[in-house]
Amino acid sequence: MATRGSGNFMRLVSDDSNASTLTEDFGNHQEELPSTLPGEQEQLPSTLPGEQEQLPSALPGEQEQLPSTLPGEQEQLPSALSGEQEQLPSTLPGEQEQLPSTLPGEQEQLPSALPGCHRGLEEELYFSRKWDPNLPLKNLPLSMQEKRKTREQRQQSRHIIDCCESWRRSQQHMRKRLREQVARVIWGLQPWSKTMHKIEGKFGVGVKSYFTFLRYLIYLNLLHCLFIGGLALAPALLFRDKNKPSGLTANESRGALDLLLGTGFVEHSPVFYGFYTPVSIPHGGLCLNTPLLFLAGMAAVLMLSAVMELRRTVIGYKHTWLLGNRYNLHMCYKVFCGWDFCIQDPNSARLKHRLIRNDIRLELQEESFHQRVSQRTFRQRLQLYFLRGILNFLVLTLLAGSFSLIYFATHISNKEKEGWILPLLYEYLPSISITVVNVLLPHLFRRIAAFEDYSLTWQVNITLVRSIFLKLATLGMFLLFLHQKDLTFVKTNQPPEPPAKLNSSKNCWENEFGKEMYKLVVFDFLAGGLNAVLLEYPRKLLVEKYPSCSLVKAIGKQSFLIPFHVLDLVYSQTVTWVGLFYSPLLVHISVIKLLLVFYIKKFVLFHCCVPAQRSFRGSQSSVLFHFTLLLGLLIAVVTLSFNVTMRTSSQDCGPFVNYSSIFNMTSSCVGTLPSPVQRTIHYFTSEAFALPLILAEIVVLTSFVSQGRANRKAIERLKEMLIMCSADKRYLVKKHSAWLRTLKSSVSAGTCEDARPTALKDPSGFQPLLLRSVSTP
Amino acid sequence: MGNKQTIFTDEQLDAYQDCTFFTRKEILRLHGRYHELAPHLVPMDYTEEPDVKLPLALIVNMPELKENPFRNRIVESFSEDGLGNLSFNDFVDMFSVLSEMAPRELKAIYAFKIYDFNVDNYICKEDLEKTLNKLTREELTAEEVNLVCEKSIEEADLDGDNKLSFADFENMIARAPDFLSTFHIRI
Repeated sequence: MATRGSGNFMRLVSDDSNASTLTEDFGNHQEELPSTLPGEQEQLPSTLPGEQEQLPSALPGEQEQLPSTLPGEQEQLPSALSGEQEQLPSTLPGEQEQLPSTLPGEQEQLPSALPGCHRGLEEELYFSRKWDPNLPLKNLPLSMQEKRKTREQRQQSRHIIDCCESWRRSQQHMRKRLREQVARVIWGLQPWSKTMHKIEGKFGVGVKSYFTFLRYLIYLNLLHCLFIGGLALAPALLFRDKNKPSGLTANESRGALDLLLGTGFVEHSPVFYGFYTPVSIPHGGLCLNTPLLFLAGMAAVLMLSAVMELRRTVIGYKHTWLLGNRYNLHMCYKVFCGWDFCIQDPNSARLKHRLIRNDIRLELQEESFHQRVSQRTFRQRLQLYFLRGILNFLVLTLLAGSFSLIYFATHISNKEKEGWILPLLYEYLPSISITVVNVLLPHLFRRIAAFEDYSLTWQVNITLVRSIFLKLATLGMFLLFLHQKDLTFVKTNQPPEPPAKLNSSKNCWENEFGKEMYKLVVFDFLAGGLNAVLLEYPRKLLVEKYPSCSLVKAIGKQSFLIPFHVLDLVYSQTVTWVGLFYSPLLVHISVIKLLLVFYIKKFVLFHCCVPAQRSFRGSQSSVLFHFTLLLGLLIAVVTLSFNVTMRTSSQDCGPFVNYSSIFNMTSSCVGTLPSPVQRTIHYFTSEAFALPLILAEIVVLTSFVSQGRANRKAIERLKEMLIMCSADKRYLVKKHSAWLRTLKSSVSAGTCEDARPTALKDPSGFQPLLLRSVSTP
Repeated sequence: MGNKQTIFTDEQLDAYQDCTFFTRKEILRLHGRYHELAPHLVPMDYTEEPDVKLPLALIVNMPELKENPFRNRIVESFSEDGLGNLSFNDFVDMFSVLSEMAPRELKAIYAFKIYDFNVDNYICKEDLEKTLNKLTREELTAEEVNLVCEKSIEEADLDGDNKLSFADFENMIARAPDFLSTFHIRI
């Protein structure tokens, strides 16, 4: 063993005594290593005792890997050492299959990267990708001259290949260029891209993410419009019975009031459920009739939204949250990705510098906050929890108060026929109360959260969560109260209206429901517009005209509060989804409303707002927003399914008048299909299928969760391995250069050529392991 | 196309189109911008590939780079001699890498070079301190700068050598959600 070891040492020395580049490269490592490797004098940091004799035989195989400390090839090292797993038990057993595999020809490529060469880094990376003909030239990190040389080389090599191949390649090339150009054109055609760019420059990425979300909602609603228009509206308009009276009487229409209340001519228009009558489409058989198409349109819209939202949420989740806070790199991102290279205006630059500074300061404050938290005494913690308990109770009472307000508003609101203002007020009472609650309470929550002694990001998050809960719960409660009100209404045995009044409000609860949703949407829009005109703009004028007044200074100009605006959007989209079934044109109204909201918000932003002092982490919150949208969709689906299954459809309005429930209609359609198909459909809708499906899903979920856990453990182990391998590398480098130095000094001192390592001693004091085992008797 | 331009040969334009992310029109426009930086130095006729380099001082005064705290480092990283003298090839290269179409890996390579002030292929603490000072216009206290640098290295350094090698940097950038949107210049 000893002779083998020393033989290897000899080989080591003789091979590399001329490798001046190595020592030159690691010359600057020499001074560093002793200071950075405190406890590594005698053995590889990772070797276990008892296996040290193996080490020398490991060394020769590693000569080519030592220069791989140069950047770009560090990931190759663990695998290069994989062949020496038995000798360097620095890796935990059983992990060799997880090491990355090297590219074959790389070990011999010793790049001549001198520290002073500016293109050196690129050359190494270039070497590792040299022979990949598929990597486009544009992506090579080389100077232009070298790229052109490579291009010529590639073109020449193309001449050598036969002409078919070259033709195919040139076609591929042209197709790629064409695709790129088309993609560029389409991307540039996106509406408002110039506006978004301006917003990003002036107000930051967070505000831009709000407008991107708004644009996404507009696209979503446009898509819904297509479906509803094609499947519900068009058949109803094309195939309706022209002879039926429209049910509109002269003294019912009240002009503009109708538009706001959804009565009169609006009630009998396609906006509401009552317009759609069941008509069989000629030549369509029993299955093709307007009710089925209506149902299909609604189902398609809801499923499409669900799929799109899920996709967005999941993608965002994968990017930002999956690795969790253990791998949070916030400080790095702020330093390396903080500056926006597009800024050209000195004012924006100054603003950005300030933003970055504030961000960094806030981040440091959070660090010190975390430290403070860990140092809290028991008594302080008790006090804090007590305070938090009280504040949470306060939040709950506020929520309960708002629910009762909505309850009273729902039950008081009845229909007055005289006058103009009074009926408007009464009808809109629920909407007004919901909007007031939704506007006031989030600001209250913000103030409350400031007292609870959380870190700043956590404050924002908890306010957001509470506001989300508020908005969705108020809507849910409102729907519940509506349902209760209708039930009590039915029970009180009102005398029926004369039959000539078709689609009258008393007999058509679907229309009522649709009207409430319509009113919510309209009022939401009106509130936003009035807010801009009556609150924001005057505030701006005040601040500009009287800058020295102390009250005005206290109020100040507003900054664009992104989370609250996004929640408004989510709320309005949820209302649209809930009301979709009973007011099919709500999506069209919603599109128009969103377009107007875009311009109103843009006006408010540019003319009345100042840029926020703190930047908003747009990417993380976009996941939260899409998730909230998903929750809203869930509420809509739950409400809809409840209404569809539990309540009977009214007998004289809507597409389902001839059927006692919607499922009867579908079952009569299914009955016309051939019998095997019928049997399959019956199986799919029965419990015998649901139970195995649930079991299968549970099994799949469990496997994913356990895989996630295993991956997390593997990440930890790989990280440890990386550190150990890097330490091993440094140790070996140090040892190697120490040998070389002593060899040189022994050669220059004229001592014998016997390079046996018996007398060698590292100036830093370590002794080769082999020697120790040899020298001990 | 119909317009006959005499600045470049067709072959040169093809080469530029293949080697960068720009179209022919954009390359001609870039040449116009390069020319107006120093009209007496830069010839209008590039068919013979003249060896003209513009000094750093001219390039960093371009409106796209003027407000950028890293403008000197950017220009130095793309120059052949490391001092910031850009030929037209380097000029086009620079804006190509910084354009929106360049992929993340390519941008990460050059970002690393830009932030590596002492050009030793590692981002050490001094490099980070310089980066931070440029980023905040030196308005953080020394204590804060120190804390930030230590925290950044602690977060991103994977192999435990107290400085960021390219692998560490690339690994960190790969997960940065905003890198592509911030690291680009429109020209």
